[in-house]
Amino acid sequence: MSIDRRQLMAAGAAAALAGTLLPARAQDKVVRFGMAQDFTVVYTFVTAEYSQGQRDYFSLVNERGGVSGWKIATEIVDTGNAPQRGIEAYERFKRNGVVLVDPLSTPVSRALVSRALQDKINLVTTFSGRSDAADGEVFPYVLPLSASYWSQAAILVEYMARQDKDLKGKKIAFVHIDTPFGREPLPLLQALARRRGFELLPFAYAPPGNEQSAVWTQLRRARPDWTLIWGGGVGQTVSVKEALRNGIAADRIASVVWLSESDMKVVGPAQAKGVLKYEGAASGREPKIIQDILREVVAKGKGAGPQDLVGTSYYNIGVMAAATMVEGVRKALEITGGGAVTAEALNQGLRNIKGFTAEGLIPPLSTTPKDHQGGGMGRVAQWDGSRWVPKTDWLASDQDAVWDLIRASSAEFKKTGT
Amino acid sequence: MFYRAAGIRHTDYRQTRQLWPLAADRRLLAAIAALALAAPLLLSPLALNSYLTPLLLWTSAALGLNLLMGGAGQVHLGYGAVMAIGAYGTVHLVRAGLPFELALLAGGLLAALIGTLFGAAALRVKGLYLAVSTLALQYLTDFVIVHVPAISGGSQASLQVPALRLLGQPVTSDAGLYFVALGACALLTVWMLNIRRTSFGRALAAIREKDFAAEILGVSAFRYKLLAFWVSSFVGGVAGALYAFCYYKAVSPEQFHIELSIQLLATVIVGGMGSVLGCYFGAALILLAPPLLNHALAALSRQYGGLIGNDLLTHAPLILYGALIVGFLLFEPLGLAKIYDNLRKSLLVWPFRHARR
Repeated sequence: MSIDRRQLMAAGAAAALAGTLLPARAQDKVVRFGMAQDFTVVYTFVTAEYSQGQRDYFSLVNERGGVSGWKIATEIVDTGNAPQRGIEAYERFKRNGVVLVDPLSTPVSRALVSRALQDKINLVTTFSGRSDAADGEVFPYVLPLSASYWSQAAILVEYMARQDKDLKGKKIAFVHIDTPFGREPLPLLQALARRRGFELLPFAYAPPGNEQSAVWTQLRRARPDWTLIWGGGVGQTVSVKEALRNGIAADRIASVVWLSESDMKVVGPAQAKGVLKYEGAASGREPKIIQDILREVVAKGKGAGPQDLVGTSYYNIGVMAAATMVEGVRKALEITGGGAVTAEALNQGLRNIKGFTAEGLIPPLSTTPKDHQGGGMGRVAQWDGSRWVPKTDWLASDQDAVWDLIRASSAEFKKTGT
Repeated sequence: MFYRAAGIRHTDYRQTRQLWPLAADRRLLAAIAALALAAPLLLSPLALNSYLTPLLLWTSAALGLNLLMGGAGQVHLGYGAVMAIGAYGTVHLVRAGLPFELALLAGGLLAALIGTLFGAAALRVKGLYLAVSTLALQYLTDFVIVHVPAISGGSQASLQVPALRLLGQPVTSDAGLYFVALGACALLTVWMLNIRRTSFGRALAAIREKDFAAEILGVSAFRYKLLAFWVSSFVGGVAGALYAFCYYKAVSPEQFHIELSIQLLATVIVGGMGSVLGCYFGAALILLAPPLLNHALAALSRQYGGLIGNDLLTHAPLILYGALIVGFLLFEPLGLAKIYDNLRKSLLVWPFRHARR
């Protein structure tokens, strides 16, 4: 039998058509999540580990038969941290019936806020985005579902106060990247300085932060009792290195959530021993949920990435975000009585999470339609040379001061309208 | 054959001065205009609000930069900052209660004023030195926006853009915003096409070729260099404001960072310096290629059951994107517009090869 070119083309076209139609007629009980994240420009390995954690957790849920039969389907797109590519991805998700978008990027999520509010699509901004979105009445569809940067700063200061008994008359240096993200904790730290009586010494370095020596020589002269570092990516490792080089004791350096095992390898795991950071999700492989992933997903060869990254800080934050989203789906099904998981239903679910701990991975998270932050809890962890060891229990601190800022900022947003 | 040039006789000056003397060009243009007007009906909302509208807005900005770089030969590495000044100025003025049309003009004038101030460096330095001076504008603007909460919009550094109201009518639909962008871009295009034929345009060209030679001929370099910065900064400010109102709906500093300046520079260079059409081609390549390549590769990978790993999948489009830019520039260093021009020129005499010069 001879096949001419036309037949071959037709067969090819038919195969291609069948291929494209296949995903569309997958099971009807599917909840679509859109992950428009930055894999290539700024967040790079942060996103890679975070996304791996998310995908592994969704695999775990789907392997177990989904949430009451509802499977989670994700679409992952690189945005390169560019707002316009985030918007493009978002609009594409919207067309595809996505009910939740996770940009893991402050610039992109900021650019999406008005669209999400208008289209009523859930915008999850774990450890990123607008802190004032904690005010659920003003931002019904923007859900941080994690401790804001203000809450993180408050917890770190609380830890310092506990170590020194009293912060009165102490000096806390605040070394931050000179971007909106780096400057964000300033009003909170100023409020805390007044409340607790310490002296705040802010130091800013220019982004991206690979050159900070000028800042650190000034800081050395100021002789602070504690040093808070606030940055992301390359700036963080440079900060830790410079701090150590300028004779600051490692256990007097405390960092925002963005400091990981990979960063410590760059600094030198042994040299950095003692450095503190805020932790919003337990790191390591001990939490039950990570053990489950290892056994039921990774061991079966279905892991989304390199096995040795399972259990890193950012991986676990990815699991945390994914588990919270799935908990929202579960709640939504509970509220609607098993009806369709629409964006509205999921929004109901995500805003009514009660005491969710992801089997011990995260501090109890309780959201309400008014409070999208969920408690602002976390703990302080210390680098022991090979891993992050918790130094405190889960705690929240100075939430009244945090909420003052949230309300002031959201009121400003509300006043100008969307 | 397509571009029948025989039998076209100009009998008066107006005919000779037409922008498009060939009927074929006019027909092509009419077809494109008709398609552009019908786009909201023909295209999906996704294509309209995520591809076509931003493309038109980018082209508008590129046209402004093109006047400066292609027209007057002055390099500008801070064009994103000029757009930021226009965007922030307009948004604040509209929030203060000024009608959009007036605020847009005022935002443009503000951008023109500050842009010209920094452009004054062009009176002393040229080429790479000028590039670095304009870079200062970029960093200063970024710094000021981030450090003045009254400008940036508070601790979140994100400023909501009020809904667009044109002549008192709210414009909120995708189609409405698209038409605003289309109108602005069309206006700018016609203006830029005509500028080249005015004494202003010719003076700019003289400056571009050799500024002291132009001076000897009686063209004031002082005046025209500043004017070039003034006009292009005005266009940039207006384009930035439209970008905020028709597309972003919220302005934050990172939208107008150095990346935008570099990308616009690339748009003008890849498109073809000095060419109005090139701005469209360049914007299409620089703006739309990354997401489209991304989706094409992802679709291809899905087709074959996850053929490409996620890591490669996110980086491969960048490699292809770079290769495309280098490839086009190697193939035709004068830019995409020149490729089109070559094609058109050969079609002008096709099928009579011997008639080609």
